[in-house]
Amino acid sequence: MNKPWFAVRKELSSRRRTFLAVMSFVFPLLVWSLVSYVPFIWHPQVEIIEPGEVDYFRTGMLVDRSIFEQELETLRAEGRELPTGTRTNPVYLPAPHEVARALYTAFSTEPQRRNENWLHESLANSIQVIFWGFFLSSLIGVPLGILAGTYVAVSRLTEPFVEFFRYLPAPAFGALAVAILGIHDAPKIAIIFIGTFFQQVLVVANTTRKLDPSLLEAAMTLGARNGGLLFKVVIPGIASDLYRDMRILLGWAWTYLIVAEMIGASSGITWFITQQARYKNFDNVFAAILIIGIIGLTTDLILAWLGRRLFPWQRAARA
Amino acid sequence: MHKPLKQLFGALAGIAMLGMSAPALSEPLKIGYSDWPGWVAWEVAIENEWFEEEGVDVQFEWFDYVASMDAFAAGQLDAVAMTNGDALVTGATGARNVMIIINDYSNGNDMIIAQRGIDSVADLKGKTIGVEIGFVSHLLLLNALEKNGMSESDVELVNVPTNETPQVLASGNVDAIVAWQPSSGQALNLVPGSTAIYSSADEPGLIYDVLAVSPTSLSANREAWIKVARVWYRVVDYIQDPATRAEAVSIMASRVGIPPADYEAFIEGTKILTREEAMEFFNKGDGFSSLYGSSKIADDFNVANDVYTDPQPVDDYIDASITGAL
Amino acid sequence: MTYLDLPSYRDQSPEVADRFRRLKERPVILEVKGLTKTFDTAQGPVTALEDINFCTHQREFVCVIGPSGCGKSTLVRTLAGLEDYTSGEVLLDGRPVHGPGPDRGMVFQGYTLFPWRTVKKNVMFGLELAGRGRTTAEEEAMQWIDLVGLTKFANSYPHQLSGGMKQRVAIARALANQPRILLMDEPFGALDAQTRAKMQGYLLEIWKNIDVTIVFITHDLEEAIFLADRILVLKAHPGEVQELIEVPVPQPRNASQFLSPEFLATKRRLEELIHPPGEETEEGINGDRLNMVRMVPVNAKVESVF
Repeated sequence: MNKPWFAVRKELSSRRRTFLAVMSFVFPLLVWSLVSYVPFIWHPQVEIIEPGEVDYFRTGMLVDRSIFEQELETLRAEGRELPTGTRTNPVYLPAPHEVARALYTAFSTEPQRRNENWLHESLANSIQVIFWGFFLSSLIGVPLGILAGTYVAVSRLTEPFVEFFRYLPAPAFGALAVAILGIHDAPKIAIIFIGTFFQQVLVVANTTRKLDPSLLEAAMTLGARNGGLLFKVVIPGIASDLYRDMRILLGWAWTYLIVAEMIGASSGITWFITQQARYKNFDNVFAAILIIGIIGLTTDLILAWLGRRLFPWQRAARA
Repeated sequence: MHKPLKQLFGALAGIAMLGMSAPALSEPLKIGYSDWPGWVAWEVAIENEWFEEEGVDVQFEWFDYVASMDAFAAGQLDAVAMTNGDALVTGATGARNVMIIINDYSNGNDMIIAQRGIDSVADLKGKTIGVEIGFVSHLLLLNALEKNGMSESDVELVNVPTNETPQVLASGNVDAIVAWQPSSGQALNLVPGSTAIYSSADEPGLIYDVLAVSPTSLSANREAWIKVARVWYRVVDYIQDPATRAEAVSIMASRVGIPPADYEAFIEGTKILTREEAMEFFNKGDGFSSLYGSSKIADDFNVANDVYTDPQPVDDYIDASITGAL
Repeated sequence: MTYLDLPSYRDQSPEVADRFRRLKERPVILEVKGLTKTFDTAQGPVTALEDINFCTHQREFVCVIGPSGCGKSTLVRTLAGLEDYTSGEVLLDGRPVHGPGPDRGMVFQGYTLFPWRTVKKNVMFGLELAGRGRTTAEEEAMQWIDLVGLTKFANSYPHQLSGGMKQRVAIARALANQPRILLMDEPFGALDAQTRAKMQGYLLEIWKNIDVTIVFITHDLEEAIFLADRILVLKAHPGEVQELIEVPVPQPRNASQFLSPEFLATKRRLEELIHPPGEETEEGINGDRLNMVRMVPVNAKVESVF
């Protein structure tokens, strides 16, 4: 227990690791709570309780503190009825309990209209869009990336164009995607695909190139030729790095969801966010953002756990 | 689980047949609608299953406004809810359409909102105004300036996406903004002391909200579109009948996900038209009290602002016979 | 060290001389004729190997030694087919070879085990490629693993093994293909002195029991003398054969021979060849010596280390 907490590149005990992992969430939550509940930290606005004799104040209106105080001065000088109000944060930053309540209501409120989705159905729809976009991208992108990383000819033939295309903003293809693929999930899947695919090819090609060339040489002296090298050395050799790449790329795919769900018929969790933000229901917005964060983190933890089982030889190598 | 994939491959295979955008008769009529009270009102009919009762097969698709026009332009929809001005823009850029139902005109939802201290349009002289150039809000601004003996050169315009106007006004970088609901309402709430110095209520008929149908679908499914119009006026009655209004508002509010009480304000600024009122506006005439006249003004505005280059044959865009057939 | 009383490295006891006579009567496995390799650099063409000629006989153990930069690694990689050559010929059993193949096994300094395969699967790699059935491949692999004494670790992954064990797996993996010749590129270079001595012993044991010819690259003079029948001494710039030495130390070898007169005589000869007197001024220590100033305080408790 007397070991130092800060030692360059030294492992901590598992108790300390768990503690710090929990703290990494407690800390931001604490900051958020402080900013939300302790008035003198931020609270740059005043919520009007009684408008007094200020002509344009209304009960429940939010005004900047400076304006409120200025009006207070004026009215006091004139000896008229003063407005009252409490300090508050802008609507853009709801307090933790408001978000928690929104999170609960979001899942517990039955849809009011016949063809409206439950939140978890919207969520399932979004996850499906991500899944298919990512799956189709990987179906082509991973083999292409591996070939480009293995054969210079394939690399020369594909990578210059891919390098070019990856700078093109995927959302710009929204209208085209709708024209070709209709208005439902297909164009959204296409946007995720475009957003993922080109990065994927390059990342996979680079990972493939990082494979220790001496393993290829060793395999050749053991009798491996083209196909054997590819399937018995290159692919198993990069599998664990590839898996890690895919985890990172999956995260990127999520970032394209918000633009994907803006095109075509509106659906999904990020559309819910856009819509709620338009009407300034920021507790719902934050709740939905939290849900995405939780899904992302959970997926990643599951994939990491699965990865340790899939690639047992990696374990000691990392420790 | 396989549906999206099948859809994607199916759609890919369908690229070859893109030219044939006219849907087969057995297909439902696909209608795109978005977040504007006069269009959200369709939700009342959907929820009450009036289309089934009327015996017309329609499929409503909920969109972001711009995305809905994109989808219509791409031939993915039979009809779309837009403003008369945007109907011309959509038509001029390739997707010809015919306005068959006038849902409403904006009656105050579109506003010019000025900082405290600016009390009239006349005060705007020499001021900076945030507006989405080329959109209906821009048209509203020009109308207001004109009425006060000014033109665009008397003010300085800053191009701002409409949904960002509240923040821009709050930043103090502009003296006024032009926006429609819900952005206009937010701006009033966000900037203390700001007031609406001009609104679409001052010029009823500046902006009509309509259902625009592709000419192909209209000629192929004329009877079906008449049924759609019949359902629409059932909706109008339902909203205007005090006995059912609360029910209607609550259905509409749930579509956009806000409390019904809050939604009342948005309906306030929208003049939803009865059939008789609508037929009035379908009469040919100049000025804003006719859909023809209003559209002509919008056409001039669009050409003047380089939204498109050639004036549109406004008469071809309007077909009163569907509403008239009821 | 003084070599005053040593015999010449050319003096061979009758037994040793007889063995070399018989050795040279064995069939030639590998023949290298006029092997030359040049490659282009920014500074112009560089000759890495020039006119290398030698041959190895069946079950012979040849060490290749030379100063750094003499191209001994290039030579063995060229023999393995991992690098091209400019002119000359490499004949295996009289037939020219091009490109790598399972008839020439190779063991690298960096182990190069496949980290995703267990010990057993690593050894099975070549057997699978050769088209052996799964059970046959597994049985054969287990025999080779047994030969290098790692049966207990058959299902371990490479990262769980020590350096010496990894290199034994690498040897087993190369031998499993039953190559005509085993090329070893400084295989024990990364091991500590003790492990290295042990590995040398293991290697000689394996060599005795298997029909395999070994070409072994090293920069360690004693290792070369201890292991080799003959030592091919290269010189640098360009890489050329300087001498092919027949090691006069009797077979079978054991650790006590390290101080025998034959051993020391051979070592003296190798040192003369690899570090010739007078060469050091060229690029050696004199041109690059430490510039020492006394940094010990005058009142230091220990004034001098002597």
